[in-house]
Amino acid sequence: MGTFGSASRHLAKRRQDWRRILKTADQGKRKHTFEERVAFLTEKTKEVRSRIIDMIYKAKSGHPGGALSAADIVTALYFDVLRVDPANPRWPDRDRFLLSKGHACPVVYSCLAMRGYFGLEHLDTLRQFGSILQGHPIRKTPGIDMTTGSLGHGLSIGLGMALDGKLRGKDYDVYVMLGDGEINEGLVWEAAMAAAKFRTDNLIAIVDRNRLQMDGCCDDVMPMGDIAAKFKAFGWKTYEINGHDMAEILRTIEKARKVRGKPACIVANTVKGKGVSYMEDRFEWHGKCPDADQLSCAMKEIWGEDS
Amino acid sequence: MRPHATTPATVPTRRAFSERMAEYGAVDGEFVVFEADIGYSTFSHLFGDKYPERYFNMGIAEGNMVSAAAGMAADGRTVVVSSYGVFITMRALESVRTFVCYPDLNVKFLSSHGGFTPAIDGVTHQATEDIANMTTLPNMKVLVPADTWSSKKLFDVALQTPGPVFVRLMRDPVLDLYETGDPFRMGGSHVVIEGAHVTIAAYGDIVFEAIEAAGILAKDGIGAEVIDMYSVKPFDREALLKSLDKTGALVVAENHQRRNGLGYELSNFCLKNKVVPFENLGLEDTFAESGSYGKLLEKYGLSKTHIADAAKRILRRT
Repeated sequence: MGTFGSASRHLAKRRQDWRRILKTADQGKRKHTFEERVAFLTEKTKEVRSRIIDMIYKAKSGHPGGALSAADIVTALYFDVLRVDPANPRWPDRDRFLLSKGHACPVVYSCLAMRGYFGLEHLDTLRQFGSILQGHPIRKTPGIDMTTGSLGHGLSIGLGMALDGKLRGKDYDVYVMLGDGEINEGLVWEAAMAAAKFRTDNLIAIVDRNRLQMDGCCDDVMPMGDIAAKFKAFGWKTYEINGHDMAEILRTIEKARKVRGKPACIVANTVKGKGVSYMEDRFEWHGKCPDADQLSCAMKEIWGEDS
Repeated sequence: MRPHATTPATVPTRRAFSERMAEYGAVDGEFVVFEADIGYSTFSHLFGDKYPERYFNMGIAEGNMVSAAAGMAADGRTVVVSSYGVFITMRALESVRTFVCYPDLNVKFLSSHGGFTPAIDGVTHQATEDIANMTTLPNMKVLVPADTWSSKKLFDVALQTPGPVFVRLMRDPVLDLYETGDPFRMGGSHVVIEGAHVTIAAYGDIVFEAIEAAGILAKDGIGAEVIDMYSVKPFDREALLKSLDKTGALVVAENHQRRNGLGYELSNFCLKNKVVPFENLGLEDTFAESGSYGKLLEKYGLSKTHIADAAKRILRRT
């Protein structure tokens, strides 16, 4: 299992740095500059991506492609945007995050473990019998706000949470990440319709527009056309961004949070498998596990150095 | 219990349930009601009129309604979802299963138009598979009030029972049976007529056919014990066993597919615990049709005479 060594070695080498960075971040003694935040998050995405690959390799099963395409956004959420308390996962005032494209859960599990919701050792138990990390997210896992993964339901659930927040007079936001294949589901558009009606400006949808779904290109399987235009037509405030540009991610989420009177949708153009060259833009890597050589190669690419 | 007299009901169970819901809004200030553009049919508007800020019309989109209810209930709030049985238990079935039952959330279903009680509406609106779908789901409890008082009491039971509860209601008024003050509980039942020779278990509208059937049987000297199994899941095992110890024969009649309804559940229970002569009346692998409720009872084998004949058959008294 020498290849694990390569993943672990990378992590060990950098652990000291992270401790220092995190400590500074958590202390909050001074406000970090935007550039510092971007640099911090960009560094974090390397660990998140490596843990995704490592976890799926060990489980011998999982969905790397869509986890990697979402990695930058989810990292930004968990390490900068979301108001959460890992020591109190059900804190009533927390921001909610729903990974509606639940099959990409290794990206969330990595972030949750790295934020301390549960021990990192759990990442090695993904999809195994008795694990807290099920094949698709369930709300028994600390930090998971709701069971998801049966595609198309996340936006509806997020709408319910947003309405609950409004009714309770809470100021939390609800973030829902959808896949661009997932939005084939009609339920998504029922939710889009209802969210506009109820003016849930505390609901922010993020579409991971990686242009691939399980059987092939989205445009071949079921062309969705201009996704932002569709949400806009339903009455949403919309944005289109490069979902791998950390500065753009942060700036756009900040804008979306400030929208009043309507829900906001960010269509994030991404690359499926981002960060691992042989997975990039290949639909075959939607639900495939890397072998030992591929793992080793992925680690080198993610960390950008020779191990 | 005392023998129960029946009187014509002035309101259908869907209305009685909603009336209590509107009253209960003052008892519990937190629960909310979702509906799908049939609030004036389910009478959920009675709640909405009093508590507009807690009443959400989700449009004609039941799938979103149920998944959104799950989101609303995720942090402990109770949500009553109102619609027709066909839409809750089929169109939104996956939402009910995966997002309400699996996480065991406090979502209660006001499900009108159960069985072929919306007789004249035709098959599209007749929920004749709802009990099968709902009783199959882990964590789901299923209640079916027969009359006005039981509808009101079972609203309270549904709200006070943790987790998902499905309440099947009827389109039209039938008869009233219970008196104000009669108790109802999750997992309970009522023996509405006592008898020594055969047990007839029914729920909802068919309780009244069973009562009539008992009258027919009495003329032939057969004592039928009629149990209102208003709690379909969990059902009252003790009451059933107690009754069967006395009668030793069971007829189950239900306004539902014969397959996978209460009859299947009770026959399975009897095979394991007490084997007795048994008959199960319901839709025999068929859909019903448009027509008067009485005509449908006759054609699809659920009238008082069908029930009485079934009892005689298993008692070998035909």
